[in-house]
Amino acid sequence: MSESSATSVAPSRLWGPAPSLSPRVRKLREEYFSFRDRPYFRNEVMPFGTGKPWDVVYTPHSWSVVPEVFPFMPAFEDSLAACARVVPFPDAQLRDPLALRRARFFAEVVERHLPVQILEGELIVGGQFNTALSLTLTKAEAARFREEERSFLAQVSELNDLGVGNCGAVPGHIIPGYAKALRVGLRGLVVEIEALPADGDHETTAFRNALVVCAQAARHLAGRYAVLAERLADSERDPQRWEELREIARICRKVPWEPAETLHEALQALWFIHMLVMAAESYPGPGLSPGRIDQYLYPYYRRDLDSGRLDRARAKELCQCWWLKPNYAYDYQGRVGNNQGITAGFGQLVTLGGIDAQGGDASNDLTWLLLEVIEEMNLLEPKPNIRLHAKTPPALLRRVADLIARAQGSPFLLNFDEHSIRGLEWQGLPKERLWDYAPVGCLENTLQGDDRSGTVDVNLNLAKAVELTLFDGQDLATGRQIGPRTGDPARFTDFAAFQAAFLRQLRHLVEWIIRVNNRADEIRARWQPTPFLSLLVDGCARRGKDVTAGGAEHNYLTVEGVAFATTVDSLAAVRKLVFEEKRLEMGALLEAIRANFEGHEKVRSLLANKAPKYGNDDDAADALAREVSRFWTREVFRHQAPATGKRYRAGYLSWNYWVAYAPKTAATPDGRPRGKFLSNGSCPVASQDRHGPTANALSVGKIGLESAPSGDSHTLSLSPSLLRDDEHLEKLAAFLRAYGEAGGTALQVNVIDPATLREAQANPFEYRNLLVRVTGYNAYFVTLGQEIQNEIIAREAHALT
Amino acid sequence: VTETATLFNIQRFSTEDGPGIRTTLFFKGCPLACPWCQNPEGMDAGPQTVWQAVHCLACGDCERACPDGALCRRDGRTEIDRTLCLHCGTCAEACPSAALEVVGKSYGVEALLALAQRDRPFFEKSGGGITLSGGEPLLQHPFLREFLPRCREARLQVALDTSGCARPEVVTPLLDWIDLVLFDLKLMDPEDHQRLVGVPLPVVLRCLEAVVASGRPLWIRTPLIPGMTDHPENIRAVAAYLAGNVPTLARWDLLAYSNLCAGKYGMLGRPFALAGVPLLERAAVERLAAVAAQAGISGVRWSGPTRAET
Repeated sequence: MSESSATSVAPSRLWGPAPSLSPRVRKLREEYFSFRDRPYFRNEVMPFGTGKPWDVVYTPHSWSVVPEVFPFMPAFEDSLAACARVVPFPDAQLRDPLALRRARFFAEVVERHLPVQILEGELIVGGQFNTALSLTLTKAEAARFREEERSFLAQVSELNDLGVGNCGAVPGHIIPGYAKALRVGLRGLVVEIEALPADGDHETTAFRNALVVCAQAARHLAGRYAVLAERLADSERDPQRWEELREIARICRKVPWEPAETLHEALQALWFIHMLVMAAESYPGPGLSPGRIDQYLYPYYRRDLDSGRLDRARAKELCQCWWLKPNYAYDYQGRVGNNQGITAGFGQLVTLGGIDAQGGDASNDLTWLLLEVIEEMNLLEPKPNIRLHAKTPPALLRRVADLIARAQGSPFLLNFDEHSIRGLEWQGLPKERLWDYAPVGCLENTLQGDDRSGTVDVNLNLAKAVELTLFDGQDLATGRQIGPRTGDPARFTDFAAFQAAFLRQLRHLVEWIIRVNNRADEIRARWQPTPFLSLLVDGCARRGKDVTAGGAEHNYLTVEGVAFATTVDSLAAVRKLVFEEKRLEMGALLEAIRANFEGHEKVRSLLANKAPKYGNDDDAADALAREVSRFWTREVFRHQAPATGKRYRAGYLSWNYWVAYAPKTAATPDGRPRGKFLSNGSCPVASQDRHGPTANALSVGKIGLESAPSGDSHTLSLSPSLLRDDEHLEKLAAFLRAYGEAGGTALQVNVIDPATLREAQANPFEYRNLLVRVTGYNAYFVTLGQEIQNEIIAREAHALT
Repeated sequence: VTETATLFNIQRFSTEDGPGIRTTLFFKGCPLACPWCQNPEGMDAGPQTVWQAVHCLACGDCERACPDGALCRRDGRTEIDRTLCLHCGTCAEACPSAALEVVGKSYGVEALLALAQRDRPFFEKSGGGITLSGGEPLLQHPFLREFLPRCREARLQVALDTSGCARPEVVTPLLDWIDLVLFDLKLMDPEDHQRLVGVPLPVVLRCLEAVVASGRPLWIRTPLIPGMTDHPENIRAVAAYLAGNVPTLARWDLLAYSNLCAGKYGMLGRPFALAGVPLLERAAVERLAAVAAQAGISGVRWSGPTRAET
């Protein structure tokens, strides 16, 4: 759009790389994006089994928060088992404690079977990590496992079919102790384990041995890369590449076993360890997060620059070579996924910025360099998150604002330290460590290196409790009594009675879903020790307990609330229209909801238009939001998983469930018919935030988010014209600064794109609150004539090309 | 007796009406009659009932609710008989949707102050505050005399966005409470001014002199309206005036004509004189900005939509 005489920011092409990339990085990037053209290198799932007829290589509980795959699970299970490459695993070993079995199996695969390849030109090596590893169970164990898994799946399927939610023992979603592993090397971790007092029982000794076996396996794999690099060097004619291959070989002989001493060594060690966690968990990436890389990689970077070993350009190229690697997690979708599956992020989250131990700003040169890497690479992974706080330097904040303005469609997450830390403090994590928190996955806050918080293990549809309240505990679609009988709401004489019934239903759902998840937690703890990850998580070795069994210093399971605003707006509408104004009879409301508002358009419209809505800085709606939030999050916090002692905590993340549970949730009293999307994260109901981003942010800030310490997912959309020049980017930066005081824990800013405007043009009612702003004036887009709409679309599209 | 004011909008996260992030208070009623007015709902001082087709369910509740028989459905539209309508709001209350609304709400000093400062954290971080706009906010000066001291007590930064149609004795005492003035100077030819804007130019210039005399920082805003204000002579004349008479000038904004308001004219049952007039070409706007800059004025900026380039 032609908007201003001031310099405007040129948006980057969607998924296009910057022209400034070196030919090497450009080639590697293009190679990644051409899955079909690289049969020589694909990181597809490689199942490895024991060859026993009862062997288990697939664990449904790892995937049960992805209900879309339920129907395919038997096929995955059977086909992976059928394709499994049998690796030698002597029967005698089946008598060892399971952790040791799993370690030995992992070591066997990694040391002898995982393919080793180096791509032309790459400086960071290691690309085959997608496994399905045998659980190494005996026949009797496998039978028990299958029975337990079957019973758990039946329970979670029921929750899912009813639209209550889902749960599972999800791998990933953790920040392993990468920083320490780089600093002391895996050897240093082994030394620590060996120094532990040997007062443990046989199990503990076996478990600690398992950790050592895994550490050595990683060393061995790196050695295989060293051998390959040497072999390639032998036949390399280009002297520069020969040099590089010799250096790769040297580095792979050293790390991750020895401490890293250079940036190149640190990046290589980090990648090896990260990819081996994915291999060990048989889980390709989701949520496995490197954490604060600009902090723990900085000493290596600084030293190399100071000593003249590297210049800034070379350091950047190394980082860019590393940056490509996490993207290969998507390769398992290569055959079916659209454009390498980049429509959904895996959330190998890297965190930049934030405060230091003294509460000052922690950003450094490397922070700035990595922002350039992010921008120039323009990739989905690793997902960047920037921690902002009161002392974030203005220049850095402004740089973030510029990135938001340019990054059309690239998820760029902002975390706000003060609110995030307040939540973790509420949760009871050690106060002196909180400055060093980092998010995993999308925005779920955890500590680094010793915190297993199971951040997406439980996903609860809060709006289901509204449905159960309206129908005395019955699921409307099936007529099944799935909640307590809280009474016919038509008999309630005041809102307090309605709210009390709602809270009972909600408590019931919390208890139910946690009960089912306790099964998954138990199954994983019993059958799926992951010693390589345990090696990297503080607490496990000392306690002699696997990370899956609660060995970490800090153990939690997170219940993520879905459809929060839909729930709040529903209650607010009932309170106002049924009980306060008595404009609508409860009977009429129930009838309209039973009919999904068909033939009850007036009732629907009243509910949608004449009741307060969360997201508008409306104190009536927001106070109710706070009450609901405080209630269910505290309910959650009362629970502990019996098998592992992990405590439950809450958060607001809705992944795709706000869409998936839309058809499974009856029409709601906020005027939403069944099937229309539920609300997402802590966001207001779509198009119900009528007072702009400041009011929206203030509403979120009023919830009292500390009792949801995992954090909240909040998205705001801004018109590109608001980001058009220097003056406005300063305003965005100031907005973010104020958000840190007044808003939530995490924010994503989207820029409204022409596609949205076209959709609004086609569905004016859905988008009746979409504001477009052009200098000095704003208008509801849908109230403009078609001609003017077209003009705006054309202008916005122009700004994006 | 405490004064009340009539406003037609309170717009938060306003980014175009002064520095930083602002809440703009749109006061209703304007003595001018600019045919390009972007806020035609701000012209009349009193409340106005409007109907928007996109929200209408055609349920007829409004018609039944109206005590004055001013509403009637015809050819798929709800027509408001403006000779009968008292803008009492009964229909808007009865409407189950948002199709009928009364534009123009009355606020007391304290109520408006509370609403105006809800975005305080955003004002503070951005150097923003509130902007009094309209309509012509100075028309409601008795209210402002009570309201502005309260804003100062609340330490709100206040910008006044005015057409300048006010006597110096009205504006001068208010300026004590105002931090920044956004002042519209549209046309320098007295005849054109009288003909197009509907008030005499000297009235506006006298007001501007009073603002200059107050020493308050001043942003001049000149709309570029095709065939009306967008000729280089006009821009040169404004520039010459500013150079000679406005030492407090901090910034001069040229605002390119926008047609986004067309829908609102329709809603109000008012003809839009510029209907169908195309947007300015980018090059034309840039030429005018260059004319302004050549006249030796620093801080010239232009903004606003221009014709889509194909």
